[in-house]
Amino acid sequence: MTFIEELIIDSSFNLSKHPNPSLWREGKHTYQIKFECMASNCSILIECEALELVKTAAKNAIIEAWRIEYKYSRYQKKNTFSDIHSTPDCWQKLDNESAQLMIFANQAYNASQGLFDITSGILREAWTFNGNDKLPLQNQIDALLPYVGWKKLAWSTEAPEQLKMPLGMELDFGGIGKEYAVDKVLTICCQTLASKSAAILVNCGGDLTCSGVRLNGESWKVGIESISRHNKAQQIIALSSGALATSGDSKRFLLKDGIRYSHVLNPITGWPITDAPRSITVAAPTCINAGIIATLALLQGKHAESFLASIKTPYWLYN
Amino acid sequence: MAVTKTTQKNQDLARLLTAASCALIGSLSASVNAADNWDVDSAFLLYSESDGRVSAAEPVISATKNYDEETKLNIKLAADTLTGASPNGATPSDQVQTFTSPSGKGSYAATAGEQPLDDTFKDTRIALSSNWSAPIDRDWAYGVGGYLSKEHDYQSLGLNGNLSRYLNQKNTTLTLGVNLSSDSINPEGGVATGLVQVPLSSSDSEFTQRTDSENKSLVDAVFGVTQVINRKTIMQFNYALSTSSGYLTDAYKIISVIDDSAGSNYGGNYQSSGRNLYLYEKRPDSRLKQSLYWQTKYQFDNNDILDVSYRYMFDDWGVNSHTIDAKYRFRFDNQYLEPQLRWYTQSKADFYHRYLNSSDYSSAEFASADYRLGDLDTYTIGLKYGYQFADETEFYTRFSLYHQESSGDKGYGKLATQELYPGLDAAMLIVGYKF
Repeated sequence: MTFIEELIIDSSFNLSKHPNPSLWREGKHTYQIKFECMASNCSILIECEALELVKTAAKNAIIEAWRIEYKYSRYQKKNTFSDIHSTPDCWQKLDNESAQLMIFANQAYNASQGLFDITSGILREAWTFNGNDKLPLQNQIDALLPYVGWKKLAWSTEAPEQLKMPLGMELDFGGIGKEYAVDKVLTICCQTLASKSAAILVNCGGDLTCSGVRLNGESWKVGIESISRHNKAQQIIALSSGALATSGDSKRFLLKDGIRYSHVLNPITGWPITDAPRSITVAAPTCINAGIIATLALLQGKHAESFLASIKTPYWLYN
Repeated sequence: MAVTKTTQKNQDLARLLTAASCALIGSLSASVNAADNWDVDSAFLLYSESDGRVSAAEPVISATKNYDEETKLNIKLAADTLTGASPNGATPSDQVQTFTSPSGKGSYAATAGEQPLDDTFKDTRIALSSNWSAPIDRDWAYGVGGYLSKEHDYQSLGLNGNLSRYLNQKNTTLTLGVNLSSDSINPEGGVATGLVQVPLSSSDSEFTQRTDSENKSLVDAVFGVTQVINRKTIMQFNYALSTSSGYLTDAYKIISVIDDSAGSNYGGNYQSSGRNLYLYEKRPDSRLKQSLYWQTKYQFDNNDILDVSYRYMFDDWGVNSHTIDAKYRFRFDNQYLEPQLRWYTQSKADFYHRYLNSSDYSSAEFASADYRLGDLDTYTIGLKYGYQFADETEFYTRFSLYHQESSGDKGYGKLATQELYPGLDAAMLIVGYKF
């Protein structure tokens, strides 16, 4: 792989101050653009003859990914995330994109019978998943549970842009934001390269999506990382359309008395899911779709595999 | 039965989530920059020489339409106006000198010790050029272009083409370019006869015998290799050959004849027909130039760019020159600052003479006192600043100072006290906007 150049992105589009993306040549008309987003190493693989257009597509797409990251980051002082939380107990108007994400979160909440809940992020104040063995005290969890619960929000699908947040509650778009960004990156690349024959694969830390088969008609070969041997592909998946997402606790977990606690929390109990597979990879038409199914499967704990089998979607599971 | 029910429920759930995610992704159409717009670069250039010599104002507008990565059309229009005075080639003298203007219809004078400048000089030029470049296939690309310029006493018509071959995954590019140009010169008062005494007025037979115009043609060929050395370095080598033939003389330039016979006028202007003898200059009717060029661009880890180039040129007129040019671009978030240093040195043409001697001027085959063919050094120091806006438009400005020094034979007798090689300073300002 040969480095070609850095893609210079104006700082006004780079509010999180990432390094500039780098453009690499993999083959004659195969380019890889590497960039950082949402704490992941991300890349866009593009097969296309028109290099200038490839650069434009990548820049537009990365600007979009960084926009989404910044907009919903809980580490920024002045963004949509902070705006939403700055006026508790008042009616506020959400922008269209945030309203659409709320609709999706609502669907996922209902589909999972309350197990997928974007208000559960606040539980991280009790839990630290860095491989240590410190369990929180039950009263720490109990103190947080009143602030968890999708139904406690004043929000409905009839007026999805209207929201009233109870004081102390928090929305965590992190669980869907990355997959959403991956899908948007692909959409923008496809739009920019619409006039050319091009094949595109977007990969953000293992959540990936493609525009279809490669230009030579072959599928993309994607390795699923081994959970035991870091950076070693456990299995090669041939992806010819749609997306893959992986959910699991191979890197984020807590180990105590031989029990491995997943970083995925049950919002009803405030406790992590146990007995879940270490890693679940799901294929679906879009990345956000694959991601939500993988997460829902993980939330089934030891029933994850039977859940996946029943919905008849391709999956790869490691215990 | 219960299992089947669960399966059915979960499949419905999966369908629901698929529909929900498609609604989410499809619901927002991103604003995407269209690729095939016109890129326009508009600039205004001001050039001013010291001591009221030439000044120029030139608006330039260049528009490029990018059809895709390699297919583009460029159209460029420039207009410039030059005013001021330029040296006519005669030496300064301890006497007042009076010169016939190029049209023969007037005269201008230089006081004692003053460099003779022709201040009748004024010109407006309009130039239009267009270029098309496109790929032939994966390994080859071509470009074709045309050029037209017009000023009141000069027209130029040019055609050019180039062919590029990519090798080594486009890390190496070979380019062959050819440029043909046909120019016609219609000096005011007609085409002067070389090495003939400058007449007093337009009624002189020298004027009445003149033809209106002359032609010259140029053929340039350049062979270049561009090589990507590594991910930070790119290098270019060019060899260029240029031949010109036809009327290569400057119809407005003259040369003084100096009295070299012993006596009180030793070193003064030589008299003929009761007046100072000035001859029209005359240059050979062909010229073959060759040049070698090397350029390296290096990008530092902090994105700064160093651009260094060297050119060596030599020709069959005996001129050879060296040019060293260095630019360093400091890059900031959306601004850049680019200082530039350039040094040019040239050795004189075989037929360059600051003046001719009374004893042997009649045997000269060619002669020119044009300082641009003499020994000279020029220095340019410049600074460019650019600001890139969020919408990818760019404002830039460049200011440079130019200094020229000539040298050569210091003369004899009375002439030795004259300043034969005055230096020249000029300032240039460019202000531009790309959108």
